[in-house]
Amino acid sequence: MIIETLMAVTFVGSLVAFIAPDRYAGELAFGISALPLVGSLVLYSRFDGSGNALMDGGQLAFENSAEWISLGAYSLNWHVGLDGISLPLIVLTTVLTTLAIVSAWTPIDERQSQFYGLVLFMEAGLLGVFSALDFFVWFVFWEAVLVPLYLLIGVWGGPRRKYAAIKVFVYTNVASLAMFIGFVALVFNLPVDTFDLPTVAQSLNAGELQSPSWTSASALKTGAFIAMFAGFAVKVPVVPFHTWLPDAHVEAPTPVSVLLAGVLLKMGTYALLRFNFTMMSDVATANAEIIAIFAVVSVIYGALLALAQQDLKRIVAYSSVSSMGYVLLGLVAYTTFGVGGATFQMLSHGLISGLMFMAVGVIYNTTHTRMVTDMSGLADRMPITVGILIGGAFGYMGLPLMSGFAAEFFVFLGAFRSGTISGAPVFTGVAMFGIVIVAGYLLFAMQRTLFGPFRLDTDYEVGRAPLHDVAPLFALLLLVIALGVAPELFFDMIRDAVNHIPAVEAGVGGGH
Amino acid sequence: MFEYAPAIALLPFVSFLVALSVGNYMPKKGAFAGIVAMGGSLLLSVWAFLRVSGGEVYNAPDLYTWVAAEEITLQFGILIDPLSAMMLIIVSLVSLLVHVFSLGYMNDEGETGLPRYYAELGLFSFSMLAFVYASNLLMAFMFFELVGLCSYLLIGFWFRTESAASAAKKAFLVTRFGDYFFLIGVVGIIATFGTAQFAGEGSFPVLAEHALVGGEGSIDTFLGLGEQAWVTVLGLLVLGGVIGKSAQFPLHTWLPDAMEGPTTVSALIHAATMVAAGVYLVARMFGFYALSPTALGIIAFVGGFTALFAATMGVVKDDIKRVLAYSTISQYGYMMLGLGAGGFVAGSFHLMNHAFFKALLFLGSGSVIILMHHEQDMWKMGGLKDKAPVTYYTFLAGSLALAGIIPFSGFWSKDEILFEALHYGLGNQPLLLGAYAMGLIAVFFTGFYTFRMVFLTFHGEPRSDDARDPHPVGWSVKIPLVVLGLLATFIGFVNMVPVAELLNADIEFLHQWLDGPEETITSVHHYEELLHNENAAHYVASDIGPYLPGALSLALALAGAGLAHKLYNVPDPEPHTEKLGSIRTLLKHNYYQDEYQVWLAEGVTQPIARAANKFDQTVVDGAVNGISSVSLGSGQRVKRIQTGIVTNYAALLTLGLVALLVVVGLYGGWFV
Amino acid sequence: MAPPVEYYLFLSAAVFCIGLFGILTRRNALMFLMSVELMLNAANINFIAFSFHHGNLTGQVFSLFTMALAAAEVAVGIGIILVLYRNFQDMDVTKPATMRW
Repeated sequence: MIIETLMAVTFVGSLVAFIAPDRYAGELAFGISALPLVGSLVLYSRFDGSGNALMDGGQLAFENSAEWISLGAYSLNWHVGLDGISLPLIVLTTVLTTLAIVSAWTPIDERQSQFYGLVLFMEAGLLGVFSALDFFVWFVFWEAVLVPLYLLIGVWGGPRRKYAAIKVFVYTNVASLAMFIGFVALVFNLPVDTFDLPTVAQSLNAGELQSPSWTSASALKTGAFIAMFAGFAVKVPVVPFHTWLPDAHVEAPTPVSVLLAGVLLKMGTYALLRFNFTMMSDVATANAEIIAIFAVVSVIYGALLALAQQDLKRIVAYSSVSSMGYVLLGLVAYTTFGVGGATFQMLSHGLISGLMFMAVGVIYNTTHTRMVTDMSGLADRMPITVGILIGGAFGYMGLPLMSGFAAEFFVFLGAFRSGTISGAPVFTGVAMFGIVIVAGYLLFAMQRTLFGPFRLDTDYEVGRAPLHDVAPLFALLLLVIALGVAPELFFDMIRDAVNHIPAVEAGVGGGH
Repeated sequence: MFEYAPAIALLPFVSFLVALSVGNYMPKKGAFAGIVAMGGSLLLSVWAFLRVSGGEVYNAPDLYTWVAAEEITLQFGILIDPLSAMMLIIVSLVSLLVHVFSLGYMNDEGETGLPRYYAELGLFSFSMLAFVYASNLLMAFMFFELVGLCSYLLIGFWFRTESAASAAKKAFLVTRFGDYFFLIGVVGIIATFGTAQFAGEGSFPVLAEHALVGGEGSIDTFLGLGEQAWVTVLGLLVLGGVIGKSAQFPLHTWLPDAMEGPTTVSALIHAATMVAAGVYLVARMFGFYALSPTALGIIAFVGGFTALFAATMGVVKDDIKRVLAYSTISQYGYMMLGLGAGGFVAGSFHLMNHAFFKALLFLGSGSVIILMHHEQDMWKMGGLKDKAPVTYYTFLAGSLALAGIIPFSGFWSKDEILFEALHYGLGNQPLLLGAYAMGLIAVFFTGFYTFRMVFLTFHGEPRSDDARDPHPVGWSVKIPLVVLGLLATFIGFVNMVPVAELLNADIEFLHQWLDGPEETITSVHHYEELLHNENAAHYVASDIGPYLPGALSLALALAGAGLAHKLYNVPDPEPHTEKLGSIRTLLKHNYYQDEYQVWLAEGVTQPIARAANKFDQTVVDGAVNGISSVSLGSGQRVKRIQTGIVTNYAALLTLGLVALLVVVGLYGGWFV
Repeated sequence: MAPPVEYYLFLSAAVFCIGLFGILTRRNALMFLMSVELMLNAANINFIAFSFHHGNLTGQVFSLFTMALAAAEVAVGIGIILVLYRNFQDMDVTKPATMRW
């Protein structure tokens, strides 16, 4: 019941924040969000699960299920539970939401109560996405996250907020439709009477898919894989479905960017891992090279795009595209290091991109510009913020002993040894060139904005940022370093969950 | 007692934390924290050294498990064998002296941001010490990168100037390019062997050796390569990182720019940390390189070429620190040449000697810069010999060592390197002869530019007001100079190969030292066996004696120094290099190496990125927006049905009903 | 002997068509409303005819509902016509043509 309690507290909290007076809304929301944060830490410390949530042979942690609706031949049930893949993402969600709320104190200066209410509502939805184990429950949460996102961008966003908000909403919703059709088409041809994800996954992996009247079972499976891959690829995003991301990030207020890059993108990779790569690993391995090409293109192309940007937020946004490419590469490798590294990268990228967006936000709060060309020498005026920003940037570049390096290294090691992708070392080698380009654009941007003599083209006084702006940055930096020094804090449980993915267990990815 | 080994690296880390957090409230802004920590590290290193001399090695590969999955366990561990024990002392000693020198160079000169400076120095020392005694390649890579980070921070210490920020970025980016290959190499080695251990049974050099030489076990290669070829590929990938960090051609361009950092930092970077890391890594995994004649040959050739290439550029530089920078590149070229020529002892020997004399020269130039009120142009100096005798004589000792004049330390190691190259070159490796030839010619240039620098700086008449009235330097500057001066003069005596041969005495102490215990499988004679094994590198020695090549290189060094003496040791020297004409222009522009690399970054990559951006905005996003405008546009058309006139709606309704009835009727068979 | 159900159906169809013709051709809102009523009552005739034919009261009950509905509809319709007249000084249904996109 603890997961339900967590969600209920967050949801009720969002209603409370909604009706609170604007003046105290920020502090109140912080207090409310501390509850799920503490709750998720309790979950972490008392985690006793083993195995993969979708597969037999393990023990789900905090599992709970109840009959809900019976619909014709199918029953829809309430079913939640955590395994080593979802728990890290739950913790990521609560940590980032709390920090994002604190980082919103300065930039959000109107309709505060509604803003924080929506953020908390989104958190409740995210908790649901990462813990639900029944397709319909999951899908409701999946869509529920989109509504507050739409409003948060559309109301508190920048000058082109309407365009960005509608683009996000329509793009991801159309993608959801493709995914929904794909999944339902699968379920209708399986001998199951429920949309329970573990049941469906095990049935699919047992090869029980029947041929519908109009095509063969394998064609149906491939078609469903493509539909679901496309649906999730938009959310991740994978090139060429990425163009909503920079617009959304640029227009969204900083705290929303933090959550968007930090958690919402992980919904896509999480779903890819759960649905496509766990349920239909045979399709994934048969087309491993094509998926690896998508991954490599995302990495290199995303990094090149970041290189061409002048807006700090756009730089970080495009580099997210690049980082998510590593996740895809790790997933398709089907080795423990590959898939585990991909999961770890979700966690790590969530923290680091959150840190980067927050740091850019703090700079924007004081300078009111994000253009690289508008400023230089900020290190002179904001030494602590800049120091942390440099730390975060090096984390993004994959500096060892920070979480980014651990995640990328696992992915590289897993992908290099992978037996699913023919020519895996070549794919890996090309993808790894991303670490050079990422260093290039971050170092260039840092040199221009942070170093050199102080100059600012907007008329604002630049002084030190207030404590509550810097504290979240510092907390994130510490987390990033902690995970880099001791990846086993989370990799331990991730490894266990990943090892029970049938294709990994069977050693499809091989290695040696 | 080895249980305290982690403290060797952790002490500077503590000083980093202390200086960063409370440095501003400490006397000397955190310098003392650093000095105490480095002193502790030095003592512990000496202790470890003594233990190793007693015949022990410390190989603890599993102190901390970083991560474990599949059958691979990635750990942090400590390996203290003779090589790393030696390097630990070098690093901690040089770092300690640099800390002390900084009291005079930074504190007394009224710099701001000193806590940051000392914190970064501490982090730098921590990273390098941890790198030195890393027990596996992955840990080595991690700290290798951290060393890169620290040099980025320190080179950019004066971040308010454009040039320092730019130099820092360049240093990190160029070495990162090399590290890209290194990282592939690390991943490849772990993927191939399942381990990254350096030493002992089950380490990757030993596993590779068993497969290639002993015929036991096999290597799972990738991409369909043979075992030997795959080992060579892995070795060359790792070499990419070495070339970047040790500033070998073509990734040497960052090093001269790195002179933008404080001179103390240059001393640390050039002598004992950043740049030394690359060559040290080759020595560390020499057992792996010794399996591949191709890799060794490439190392030797790159080294020989870099030695000559950089030495020629050093000839025309006017900034004292720039001359030293090019000499560093050149000297590391020698070390690579030595290691590639199979001279594990020779390369390590030169690494040690160079650490001391180059630290000495940089600190000496720092002293000169204090004397000259922060003027670095040698043409504005002159005549400092009598006004600053301590600086002069120590600097001279360093210069003699750098130029390779007997009996200073540089002579012995450089001679041994060239001898090894000739030795095996005449045996069965003609490629080495080419490398040898380049190394030999570079000796002449080294002698020339070194003494051109000495004469321009210290001899002749003062050529500026600052030179006539130099700023005095304090004890904190002089003590490190004296310590290093003594070391630069005498440290070469630990391995006098020609003398040993002449006297037939057993005085090759360094050789014996590095021959240490067997259990780590990193001893010299093991390497030599491998080197001569026909399934490994298969080097065959010739029977040439050490005297003739030694005399030859000494003669060339003296000739270079003599030419410098003739041209520049006059009261009022002229800029003779201007007579070189277009060659001088070429050398001044460093063979246009910077230009083409900047072009690669800004002339090729940036336009590609901009083109990609344009493509993204127009084609990819255009498609997305296109779909939305198509639906919007069709909506615009279709909505015209909605006229607003009720009668039309009623008509449509009726027509629709009729149409529906007709369709249902047709399908329902009403009209049959 | 009651007449066969077809007679009622013809009547109903005729009334319905008159109503439809009225809707399609009349511009006066009152005539419009009356036409709608005619069509509704055509449906009522059908209900009752079939109810009688099948000997089942459900249709008659339904026609009662329809009458109630028609009454409500007339009330709303008259209201709209009043507003229409107030705004346009006319009862022409083609005049207010701006109630669209």
